[in-house]
Amino acid sequence: MSTVTTPRKRAGTTPPPADPARTRRAGRRQQRFAYVTLLAPFTALLVAVFLVPVGYAVYLSFFSEDHDGLGFGGGRTIFTGLRSYLAVLQDPSFVSGFGSIALYCVIFVPLVVAGSLGLALLLDSGLIRLRRTAQMLLYLPHAVPGIIAAVIWLYLYTPGLSPVIKLFAEADITIDFLGLHTVLPSIVNIALWSGLGYNMVIFYAALQALPREVLEAARIDGAGGVRTALQVKVPIIRGSVLMVCMFSLIAALQLFTEPMLMNQATPMVNSRFTPNMYIYDAAFRRNNYGLASAASVILLVVTCALSFAVTRWAGRRERSAK
Amino acid sequence: MPGQRPAVRRSGAAVTALLTIFAMLLVAGCSGGGKSDSAGDGPVHVTFWSALRGSQEVVDEYNRTHTKIKVDFEQVPSGDQGGWAKLSNAARAGNAPDVATIEYPQLPSYAIDGVPRDITDMLPDSVRRRIIPQAMDLTTFEGRTYALPVDIEPMVFLYRKDLFTKYDIPVPKTWAEFESSARKLKKAKPDSRIASLFTTGGTLAMAGLAWQAGAQWYDTSDKSWTVSMDDAPTRKVAAYWQRLVDDDLVRVEPSSSQQWRAHLQSGETAGWLAGAWAAGSMMASTPGGKGKWAIAPSPQWDPEKPSLGTQGGSTFMVTKDSTHPEEALEFITWMVTSPDALRAKLSSGVSSAYPTVTDLVPVARKEMDTSYYGGQDIFGLFQREAELISTRWKWGPRMVSTISSGDDGLARAGVGSGTILEALREAQSKTLPDLKSLGLSVTTR
Repeated sequence: MSTVTTPRKRAGTTPPPADPARTRRAGRRQQRFAYVTLLAPFTALLVAVFLVPVGYAVYLSFFSEDHDGLGFGGGRTIFTGLRSYLAVLQDPSFVSGFGSIALYCVIFVPLVVAGSLGLALLLDSGLIRLRRTAQMLLYLPHAVPGIIAAVIWLYLYTPGLSPVIKLFAEADITIDFLGLHTVLPSIVNIALWSGLGYNMVIFYAALQALPREVLEAARIDGAGGVRTALQVKVPIIRGSVLMVCMFSLIAALQLFTEPMLMNQATPMVNSRFTPNMYIYDAAFRRNNYGLASAASVILLVVTCALSFAVTRWAGRRERSAK
Repeated sequence: MPGQRPAVRRSGAAVTALLTIFAMLLVAGCSGGGKSDSAGDGPVHVTFWSALRGSQEVVDEYNRTHTKIKVDFEQVPSGDQGGWAKLSNAARAGNAPDVATIEYPQLPSYAIDGVPRDITDMLPDSVRRRIIPQAMDLTTFEGRTYALPVDIEPMVFLYRKDLFTKYDIPVPKTWAEFESSARKLKKAKPDSRIASLFTTGGTLAMAGLAWQAGAQWYDTSDKSWTVSMDDAPTRKVAAYWQRLVDDDLVRVEPSSSQQWRAHLQSGETAGWLAGAWAAGSMMASTPGGKGKWAIAPSPQWDPEKPSLGTQGGSTFMVTKDSTHPEEALEFITWMVTSPDALRAKLSSGVSSAYPTVTDLVPVARKEMDTSYYGGQDIFGLFQREAELISTRWKWGPRMVSTISSGDDGLARAGVGSGTILEALREAQSKTLPDLKSLGLSVTTR
């Protein structure tokens, strides 16, 4: 907002010219020009890559292929109302996708928050030497594109290829990363590997901004390093913790790359494992664009609702804390 | 090899997985039919997509012997590697090729999406009569024909004759005998099993077995899709195989997997239930088995009333988009009915696909060296078995997804979570919402 108000201030500080009305007009024109120039790129992108696709998805979810009887010979596109939505909501495999996500979150979110917070606190405490190097090394996995990371991990998970499995086998331990019960932890592991460093940077930046006098006060009161970390530092950066939780939740709803690749390697990850995979499967394997669009719209609504709820809840807690 | 479905290798390398994703992205992104309509007096160009091996040789032979029509061939990835999506997307974008290859189970799906052209009125009776009715029946819906079938694959039983003889195990004629032979083999040679229950690829195998038992997963007789993947015959078949699995009488593994192939090579798996094409596939993949294998008819539930299902087989469709449907049909008719086409296909390697045109069987028999099977007249066997294929069966409107859902369930059943029947029920429940959202008339039984 500040960028928008700047021109006005500047217009006000110029020396009074001959005709105030004309200047005001010129100022307003300038102002409008600034609005447009500054907002145009954002608006163009928002419209092109968000609003138009969302609008098209909504359209496709209501107007889809319809057939009579057995349906041979092709259908025609008509208004089908809520039919696609009803079909999606009645599909056990779509609903179970949210189940997979929930289970994934239960494992992933606490681990990633605890892990990255712990690392950030360690870095902040000054216990780790070569702080910059450590920070960079931890951040590095995040720079690897998700699909490449997934391929590398898949290689480490695949029996017959993986040096890790071979190593365990030499010690007479059979380990199956792609089994019925191990496949979800295996996916969480990939996400942790790439997410830990990134979230650590967020926490570390928040910790750096802590008022030093508070920490000093804690020290004078006799709080040790661990106590300062857990009872002073963590409560103060609560906001960042909540933000990371929220981002992790929303990212989890979009889970696609890792399980999609795993689907190629093990039947334990089916082709509709997450809501996003369900959408892909509906569009490109079942060739049912109405169904895919309805599922997309539902996922969008759920994601928006969840983000809204979390932000509201966090805001209220923040206020009541004050 | 027609009918041979090059399945995804579940144990496949990461590289394969990556390539597949890239292929999918490519398929999703672009790729047109590359239609090149010639103006004037030159030959008419017909574009042709196929994933079948040997197609290039067939097209070369056609182009060598024909001048009025020129076929432009493009090898596409097999269906589950992106071929199905490629065809669907091309048709959606309005640039499908003139001719495309599609397997039987997937044909109804494309016919519902309006990809193939209704060739009923274009197809001369002289051609129709030459094709085995069981095959025509699978490409004809509500009296309209949407594709020409090129091969039909009766289920047969490939077995290690040397092992069966050595341990004095009878070759089973009925499923009851199959079970007792399985027990006998395991007792005589504890590391060996009579056959495999497939996880990946298993739903199609189950379909063939249920088909034989008289199941109707999809019944279209009253103008509505009646879906029952757990009807009485299917329950019988599922319970039977579940017992074989529970008693550790069969191996449970993905079809076309390295482990399965290794077991076939070592004799740890002594049999394989598959379509006729499997004979050629076995020769190519297990050369060391020469002289050891033989082929028997599939076991029957009731030898007095023999019946059979299929596994595999492909059809050729003329697309709705085709600008030269007459020429396209002429070309596929040649591919299906001409001895030259069959010879060209066989020249590319070992194929034992059973042609739908029965009068071509002598050609196949002459071209095929069956010394691998001790000179057994395998095409004679296929011919007898093909006659037994039941015409009660119809494939459903969205088989790609139904099959993959079933395979997921079978894989879980294979590691002790759930049963074969539960896998099939799950496949059905995952299919129904899809059909309903297409507006199809659907009932369950």
